[in-house]
Amino acid sequence: MTRRSPPLDLERALRDRRVIVCVGAGGVGKTTVAATLALRAAAEGRRAMVLTIDPARRLANALGLERLGNVETEVDLARLRGAGVEPQGRLFATMLDLQRSWDDFIARHVLPGQREALLRNRFYQTLSSALAGSQEYIATERLYEVHSRGDYDLLVLDTPPTSHALDFLDAPRRILDFLDQGSFRAVTGPALAAGRLGLKLMTLGGSVVGKALSRLTGTETLEELTAFMLEIQGTYGVFKDRAAKVKALFASDDAAFVLVTSAHGANVDETIFFHERLAAERIPVAGVVANRVHPDFLEGAPVPDSAALAAALAAAGLDDPGQPPLSERLVQTLAEARAIADADRRSLERLASATRPTPLHRVPRFDSDLYDLPGLWELSRHLFQRG
Amino acid sequence: MSLLDRRLLVTAGKGGVGRSTISAALAVAAAGRGKRVLVCEVNTKEQIAGLLGAPDTGGAIGRVADGVDAVVVRPDEAMREYGLMKLRFRVVYDAVFENPFVSRFLQFIPSLPELVMLGKVLFHVREGRWDLVILDAPATGHGITFLGVPQALLDTIPPGAMRAEAEWMRDLLRDPDATAVNLVCIPEELPVNETLELAAAVRERLGMSLGHAYLNRFVAPRFTAAERETFRAPAGDAILEAAFRAATAQSIRAEMSARHRLRLEDELAAPVTPLPLLHPAGAFDRACIDELARHVVPT
Repeated sequence: MTRRSPPLDLERALRDRRVIVCVGAGGVGKTTVAATLALRAAAEGRRAMVLTIDPARRLANALGLERLGNVETEVDLARLRGAGVEPQGRLFATMLDLQRSWDDFIARHVLPGQREALLRNRFYQTLSSALAGSQEYIATERLYEVHSRGDYDLLVLDTPPTSHALDFLDAPRRILDFLDQGSFRAVTGPALAAGRLGLKLMTLGGSVVGKALSRLTGTETLEELTAFMLEIQGTYGVFKDRAAKVKALFASDDAAFVLVTSAHGANVDETIFFHERLAAERIPVAGVVANRVHPDFLEGAPVPDSAALAAALAAAGLDDPGQPPLSERLVQTLAEARAIADADRRSLERLASATRPTPLHRVPRFDSDLYDLPGLWELSRHLFQRG
Repeated sequence: MSLLDRRLLVTAGKGGVGRSTISAALAVAAAGRGKRVLVCEVNTKEQIAGLLGAPDTGGAIGRVADGVDAVVVRPDEAMREYGLMKLRFRVVYDAVFENPFVSRFLQFIPSLPELVMLGKVLFHVREGRWDLVILDAPATGHGITFLGVPQALLDTIPPGAMRAEAEWMRDLLRDPDATAVNLVCIPEELPVNETLELAAAVRERLGMSLGHAYLNRFVAPRFTAAERETFRAPAGDAILEAAFRAATAQSIRAEMSARHRLRLEDELAAPVTPLPLLHPAGAFDRACIDELARHVVPT
């Protein structure tokens, strides 16, 4: 099969793909974009679900999400119609409960007798909550599971808020490193080989490294770690297998990534970097969404001086009240807006040329926070008019 | 007591609201009052030096402005320093740290990386080389975990090396005369919600004192209600209409700023200090930091 398909874009991704992953730094509006994409797909006839992590309360309410705990909820048709959407398909939403997802994962893959001790182990708690990448890992794990069930035409994943989008791709490797027996055996020496019964400080003491480490951490910590490694040993293969499957899914024609950013320089740098990384891993990118772009009210015309503005006010039959006069304050406001719009334009030009030919969607900054269905629908109109 | 008379100021808040900017501005403000200041960034890309217009220090302690030093605290280096301190003998230290698996392995011991990084910061507070240490904390959730590590260890681990460290660290963090946590927020719903949760966590979970809550990118009102009314009418002139749209957007942001400020003041019981949204013609540079430094400690 050598047929070249037309280049991927957001519209095609919403129509053809089964999984869309939204990634970006925290605070750039990722959740809103994810919800908007699912809404649009539902409007156009697909059975779409958005998997979100921690939506704003009002967005959760707008979607009818009142509970945590991985419950899949259909967004009420009346709500959608109330927002002016006449959906051809159906919209679902679920809030990912990351701790619960970890516990479910363990319940599926660890023998009942070993489960309780494992869930109580502090290393498990670190793995499931604090270890860098664990949230990202379990979010993809959960995505994969829902995807395998095949109940929906399209899943849109809102990834956890990380300071670096790259954390998302690196998560599986970190988890596998954590569980890798090789590094562990080097530290504790014969303890692991001795098995559960031999699990005593005596065996730990057999390794010079183990001895030195216990000076740093205390011996109980090391013993607990050894116990953890024994309990979770059986799941390493599962993790590895799952990580490989998720990777294959992401690189397949079933999936597409959408990069979400603001026009802020640091976010743009990171998005460019992430785009390169996705290309290197042959992961399809359907679009880059630049959110909250400051508009240039003058559309490129020069900022007038206050005399010109005072004249325009007079010509319109308006007063020029206040101190400083209205005309001066208006000019100051235009100049400030121009400075911000210029900064945004410069960084987005840089973004566009670095991510070509991936389509770049510029979404203007709205006058208020967008957390309701009409707001999402408004956002979708901006997303699907190419800019 | 004045904010800058503390020995440790923690800057905490959601990602992307300007924590580093405000850490830098606080450092400049304190140095301007004759303090010797150290800014600590935690396991992140170096930002403070750039914000202050200085070349990067490469992460080691280095001068970034008059009276201001900066350092990036990283887990592996902090762990090495801690290891050398605890193990004393070079030969044992080498046996441990020359093992290629060990430094990676140590990252997985719950709380140990946080403990040694926080320990390094607090060591700098104690050693007296600086009058004020500013800790640019990790973003919200991680920041709370980070500052809570000493107490978490005291709650769970038996006596030993880590426990002794945890004890003095916890006491220093909780001493209201020595330490305060400054919160950084922007006038939007999500960040404000998070800031209120963060404030509760700082006080109740960590037992630490709040300093200021900085409302960054604050927009002050510029137009009267009557003026805003005239913005609605068609002006029949393209430039004037653009000006009216810009002024309307400015007014909406000013309204949001005022509303979120009020909410913070109502629910926070800590001083809320607005910091103006700046509009540099070029990059956000040292001049912007100096401008913010004039606002971080209201007189």
